[in-house]
Amino acid sequence: MRLTLENLTKKWGSVVGAENINLQVEDGEFVAFLGPSGCGKTTTLLMIAGIYKPTAGVIKFDDRVMNKVPPKDRNVGMVFQSYALYPHMTVYENLTFPMKLKKVPEKEMKERAQHIADLMGIGHLMERKPGQLSGGQQQRVALGRALVKQPDLLLFDEPLSNLDARLRLTMRAEIKRLQLELGITSVYVTHDQVEAMTMADRIAVMKDGHLQAFSPPNVLYDQPATLFIAGFIGNPPMNFLEVEVVQEGDRYVARRKGFELAIPPQRGKPVAGRGRVILGIRPEDIALGAEGIPGEVYVIEPLGRDDLIDVLVGDEHLRVLADPDIGLKLGDRVHLQPNASRVQFFDPETEKSLLWS
Amino acid sequence: MVCPSQRVNDMSTSIAPSESRWRQWWENFRSSLSALAFMSPAAVLIILFFFIPVIIIVAISLTNMSTSTGFQNWEWIGLQNYVKIFSHPKTGEVLKNTIFYVAATLALFNVGMALVVAIITTHIPRRAGFAYRTLWLLPRLTPSVVYVMMWKYIAADAPYGILNQFLVPLGVEPTNWLPAKPWLFVILTNGFIGASFGMIIFTSAIESIPRDYLIAALVDGCSNWQRIRYVILPMIRWPLLFVTTYQTLSLLTSFEQILLLTDGQFGTEVWSLWAYHRALNNYWGNFQWGFGAALATVLVIIGIVMAIVYMRYFQFNELVQEPKIEAL
Amino acid sequence: MDDHPLTTATTRRNKLVFHLLLLIVTVPILVGYLWILISTFSHRTYGLIPVDDYGNFGGLTLQNWSFLWKDPNIWQVTFNSLVLAVGLTIGVVSVSALAGYALSRIGFSGRRSFLAVTLILHAFPSVTLLISIYFVLRWIARIPIIGNDLPIIGGFGYNTLGGVILVMLALQLPLGIWLMKGFFDHISWDMERAALIDGASRFRVWWQILLPQIKPGIAALSIFSFISGWNEFLIPYTYMAQQEKSTIATYLNSMLSDTAPVNYSQVAAVGLFQLIPVIIFFIFTQEYLLSIFAGGSKGGT
Repeated sequence: MRLTLENLTKKWGSVVGAENINLQVEDGEFVAFLGPSGCGKTTTLLMIAGIYKPTAGVIKFDDRVMNKVPPKDRNVGMVFQSYALYPHMTVYENLTFPMKLKKVPEKEMKERAQHIADLMGIGHLMERKPGQLSGGQQQRVALGRALVKQPDLLLFDEPLSNLDARLRLTMRAEIKRLQLELGITSVYVTHDQVEAMTMADRIAVMKDGHLQAFSPPNVLYDQPATLFIAGFIGNPPMNFLEVEVVQEGDRYVARRKGFELAIPPQRGKPVAGRGRVILGIRPEDIALGAEGIPGEVYVIEPLGRDDLIDVLVGDEHLRVLADPDIGLKLGDRVHLQPNASRVQFFDPETEKSLLWS
Repeated sequence: MVCPSQRVNDMSTSIAPSESRWRQWWENFRSSLSALAFMSPAAVLIILFFFIPVIIIVAISLTNMSTSTGFQNWEWIGLQNYVKIFSHPKTGEVLKNTIFYVAATLALFNVGMALVVAIITTHIPRRAGFAYRTLWLLPRLTPSVVYVMMWKYIAADAPYGILNQFLVPLGVEPTNWLPAKPWLFVILTNGFIGASFGMIIFTSAIESIPRDYLIAALVDGCSNWQRIRYVILPMIRWPLLFVTTYQTLSLLTSFEQILLLTDGQFGTEVWSLWAYHRALNNYWGNFQWGFGAALATVLVIIGIVMAIVYMRYFQFNELVQEPKIEAL
Repeated sequence: MDDHPLTTATTRRNKLVFHLLLLIVTVPILVGYLWILISTFSHRTYGLIPVDDYGNFGGLTLQNWSFLWKDPNIWQVTFNSLVLAVGLTIGVVSVSALAGYALSRIGFSGRRSFLAVTLILHAFPSVTLLISIYFVLRWIARIPIIGNDLPIIGGFGYNTLGGVILVMLALQLPLGIWLMKGFFDHISWDMERAALIDGASRFRVWWQILLPQIKPGIAALSIFSFISGWNEFLIPYTYMAQQEKSTIATYLNSMLSDTAPVNYSQVAAVGLFQLIPVIIFFIFTQEYLLSIFAGGSKGGT
């Protein structure tokens, strides 16, 4: 089922929850709404579910306008951060509740419930109450309850936030696999960019109620459309530096105090001569070598697989991911070799990318 | 700032039509219908037994309805009943009684004893304190007839009365103490019931004084009395004010115990009982609904005004959270 | 549980003084209830001392309780009191839970006004309206069938048990609604949203999902309503004609206002009879009652 949002807006008085959200989710696609708290992602999700009424704009399931349709008639399954299981009912009763409401015959209900429970790995917990289950088990019941109604659309509201890190990893993979198998169109709200990047086909990045970009993960990573996206996606986050790019003959150079970098023409041309611009370069795109931009090791953060080195360059700090075996110490002099073909440039005022539209 | 994504979906054709006023009103109405279903029993009952009676009482107070006119032959007489109140010989006495009764019971028991019991029970071991507060709750839970009968027996004449049993050995002349000291017993009877309200509120207020604050004061070396005066009382100022106003209204308008104890005899008729007697219940079966209604209307107006004041000052910060579900 | 810091800071001597003071002021209560207990089992009492016909100590008897099998009216009025208490409880809880839910969870126009009205009514002394409610009841009595012709409760008009129930129900609503609303306010929104998405109607959400979550609130309100119905004197007294035939409270009062000399021991027995269920409730459900007295007065949690 295709989900379309057109100019979707939600305001309470003068407070803007979400404004002019435009996007289209294809049938079977897994889309993430990503952004910090208060960016409007949950508000949008609740409008899709029918819990909030849009102030303006249209929600369409395939070609049907759903604005006036009550939640119970939207055939949507939703998984909440707090699981929202019914504490006074057993797992079995929680799972069969949606079916009971649709007056599904007893036998079919039992079969479907058992099938889903087995799929979620909780088939042996049917007679327990939610209070007797662990967090992970409760989350599976919640997921099962959403799936048991065979919905056209699956909505997730930060479902893994209440789980511990280990469990989160396993559940992430399970949800992703499940969605691929079942092929149900899914919208997944999260503030964790790792979750979004690993699970989604496309990510809608939101900030302050507005949609900043709606693209596949690799596009957001390699071609971020705004400063916000560039800094939000990717861990450790991108380094930002104010530079001036000048054209010297057929060379383009990005310069600031203590920093000089040659930029390949495709990246340099749109940016040259614009005065102050913001240069972005990811820690993993900076290598340490014998020559290059001089700097001094300021902080070393061992991450296990890599070391995150904070290098003082001129009067700015750049973070670099380096091989831990190099054996750096505080105060060491190093030389940085940023991969210039991976730099990003942003307009300091509009915060938009100067490379990608 | 134009979002990049907007250009992708520029071919959007169906933007939601701006809804006509009428449609929006209809939508609001429909979602109010489900609310209506939930609210209607309560709404009907409240209209029937609160709003309509207020209108009725004001209306009847402007008539001369009584058992002599019956339900058919009454007339509108404007504010005559109210004039009658002013000129009635009994008004002065009843007014004095009422003010005395309210002030004395309030000061001695509803606020006074409530404070004393609350403060003392928080200074003695928890279990004992709990036991005492339980005892003080008994009068409020006892059926009023039983409770008043108990007091009547305490006051009764020798050889039956309990009070006499203790006083006679001390050389006091035995008598039925109710006619002898009617106000004492009216105040005692109502007071023991009234005190439990303030007692619960003050106790919970004292117990919720932040521990750190108390411990700091204790470390500072206050004596008990200083502690009560300078630490506890200021921290329960708000509950104190609340209990005082609420109980004042309660004492002003309730009369059940007085009705049972003395029925207003021996000079204990208060305003609310007077209204009740006039309109609904007296020995001679002569009901003056108009006059009684006027007496009651005075109380109703006081009641409404004080209730609004109460709401504004004590509940204004009440959490009135907006619903987070707008589905139909 | 630990004692309050105030308690631990009080010296033993002071604690003793406090105990003494408290004991002195509590004496009337102790004495009064002690008397009731003694009296029900005595032929007569001189003060607190049970005596027999000749004024000597003794005379303990169970005769006072003979009303249980001798008086035909007592079971009638007990039944009525029970009907009143149970009817009131069911009525208050259901109407308050319905309205409390809507006020807490449904955004309808006029919601804020209704909330304000409920609050004002809560503080308003309803006893001042007794006179006009008399007229309302007389008017209801003239409505065919439900006015005067129903079984058991007689109807909903003047001089019917149903009328008394209706009046008490209405007068308890401000407290009940505010209490229920307070409880509903604390239920997570997600659970209700999940139920709506699962396909439940608002009513079903209320009945099957939310009500089970506020069982403590329902219990508290039920106990409070039951006791107030069982104990109530003024309303049955005012609105029902025959005292000896309406409720235990009015029956008791009619015993006291008989022109014949009052047999206090017998009256005490009937009084204790009425008091016992209340004491039982109080012993076993204290926290519920206290939560109403404290919470209800402040307008609910």
